[in-house]
Amino acid sequence: MKQQRKVALPRYGEYNCALKYMVEQGFEARCILPPPMSRHTEELGARVSPDLVCTPFKTTLGSMMEALEAGADTIIMVYGACRLNYFGELQEQILRDQGYTFEFINLSLYNTGKKRDILRALRVINPRRSMVKAARAFRDAFRMVEYLDDTTAFYYQNCGFDPSGTYPKIYRRFLADLYAAGSLAEIQEAYRAANHAFADVTLQKPPDPVRIGIIGDYFTVMDPFSNLHLEQKLADLGAEVHRLMNITNDMLRNTEKNKQVKILDFSEYSMGASSTTDIWQARNFAERGFDGIIQVKSACCMPETDIMPVLANLSRDYKIPVLYLTYDQQTSDVGLLTRLEAFYDMVEMRKKVAR
Amino acid sequence: MSETLGIPRALLYYRYGPLWDQFFHALGVQTVLSPPGSRGLLEAGARLAPDEGCLSLKMFMGHVESLVGKCDRIFIPRYSNYGYTEVFCTRYEALYDQARNIFRSTPQRFITCNIDAMAGSPEPKAFERFGVELGFTPRQSRRAWREASAALRQKQRASEKAQRALAEKPGMKVLVAGHSYVLSDPYLGGPILDFLSASGVPALRADALDPETARRACARFSPTCRWIVSEEIVGGVLLWKDHVDGIILVSAFPCGPDSMTNELLVRRIRGVPILTLVLDTQSGTAGIETRLESFLDIIRFQRGEMT
Repeated sequence: MKQQRKVALPRYGEYNCALKYMVEQGFEARCILPPPMSRHTEELGARVSPDLVCTPFKTTLGSMMEALEAGADTIIMVYGACRLNYFGELQEQILRDQGYTFEFINLSLYNTGKKRDILRALRVINPRRSMVKAARAFRDAFRMVEYLDDTTAFYYQNCGFDPSGTYPKIYRRFLADLYAAGSLAEIQEAYRAANHAFADVTLQKPPDPVRIGIIGDYFTVMDPFSNLHLEQKLADLGAEVHRLMNITNDMLRNTEKNKQVKILDFSEYSMGASSTTDIWQARNFAERGFDGIIQVKSACCMPETDIMPVLANLSRDYKIPVLYLTYDQQTSDVGLLTRLEAFYDMVEMRKKVAR
Repeated sequence: MSETLGIPRALLYYRYGPLWDQFFHALGVQTVLSPPGSRGLLEAGARLAPDEGCLSLKMFMGHVESLVGKCDRIFIPRYSNYGYTEVFCTRYEALYDQARNIFRSTPQRFITCNIDAMAGSPEPKAFERFGVELGFTPRQSRRAWREASAALRQKQRASEKAQRALAEKPGMKVLVAGHSYVLSDPYLGGPILDFLSASGVPALRADALDPETARRACARFSPTCRWIVSEEIVGGVLLWKDHVDGIILVSAFPCGPDSMTNELLVRRIRGVPILTLVLDTQSGTAGIETRLESFLDIIRFQRGEMT
């Protein structure tokens, strides 16, 4: 019998629990989970990456290297609307030049605009696996992503007001349950347990807390390591942190089909990749009376850089402060915290004056 | 009374200029072109554009500013894609809206031509709509576009032919590869080409090639590369590299597509020395000249012309 494949995908926030589920339940392959991203991951990747590429390229490359060192023999890489489309090809070349042996499934190669081609790519992972079973696993995994995004959003909106300190424990427990889940029932059970546990905690939330909305590039904003746990830091300062950008909202549900129409006065056409979503979300936060917006982006991210003049105008029109954060390997934890504290104090002060 | 359109002499003007010029000429639209790139324009643009934007974006915004108040509308086309697998860098997609936002406090008006095949606006259709917006009939606009795209093709063929003659000449030659708007800009790429010609080394250019041929070559070499302009540069490098003794990859800081395609070229091309130059806002040319000089020395040494 042919040996089971050992498949790995680079780390991407906590979404690896769903990716793992897809690989294991959908394709009956083993999933090698690379270790959580760390400075080491970043340095590994950055050492062999081109200088001027955006940071996610370097961190995902580092994560691939760690996965290969952990025993993976197959790496899957996704594609996207910006440079991400080209990540796979260059990363494979770099890994081969480094001397690693592995099989590389670059989904970008199959991204031709026809759905059939993507299915073809999935067959490569395990040709004998039935597509019906795979589809069922995908459905479960999507459910898992929805639960994860839902719980994460709830967590960051409330954990800043929990005096007992049990919120982080519940959230960590929930994540561990998702990584261990092997069936839809287990996924649902984890979600239910987390919700019950959260409900048992008494929060001390003021009637009108400081609310901060976060927008930003697809990777950095969703990956806590890449944004140096921005949401946790803000919550710890005492803010209600909102982030609309997640896989559920942007891919699985995508309920806001006509975002461009709602921002025509700022941008008539899409400015590339996630720009329309970002501008719309920023406006959404502003109209709902949020106290501040933070734009998160990796250094050299093209679409996010291009929308900065739009955000500046939006900030002027709605009189809402916007903090622009750019992340690269040099961004330090303490430096970020200082900036966040200053931003939070300013926002809080404005709120008091307005009241 | 007809209006005057302003055209920034930057970014895609260096690729599609002949097409735009002929299009406006055929329709009888008056245009005003911004002056050639200079340090002043770059500095003005750097004050306006986002800090993290690329050098060429800053230069572009400088050109736009120089046109403010000098024309009725400034023409900033939005080149998005020719189809699912043929796209442009997101920067060109954003240019029009970005400029509108940057110059919002001025009374200046802008006009675009939206080339976005995936959203039902392929190039011929886009120019037809654009012509209609300028006040011409669809028929006149279609005709102007046909003439314009023929003019562009003719220009491309002429530059390829001229280069072929140069490539056949014996002696040492180098290939300069980079975006047309970097190489042809007198302030950005100018010093490089000037230095090469002063050193008596003929310089071939990767962008002097029929775009279709170049893109086909690139598709074989790097299947997931989808940026049209980068494909043309990569294809140009592949097809000219056997005629030269060295390749100089010129890029503007921090160009997104270049950061990846240049890396791939350096990793996959063997047998020809490659120099990578990244231009930034620092104005001196001495650093560039020193690097070019030593690169030429290496080639001469390899050729046995220097001992």
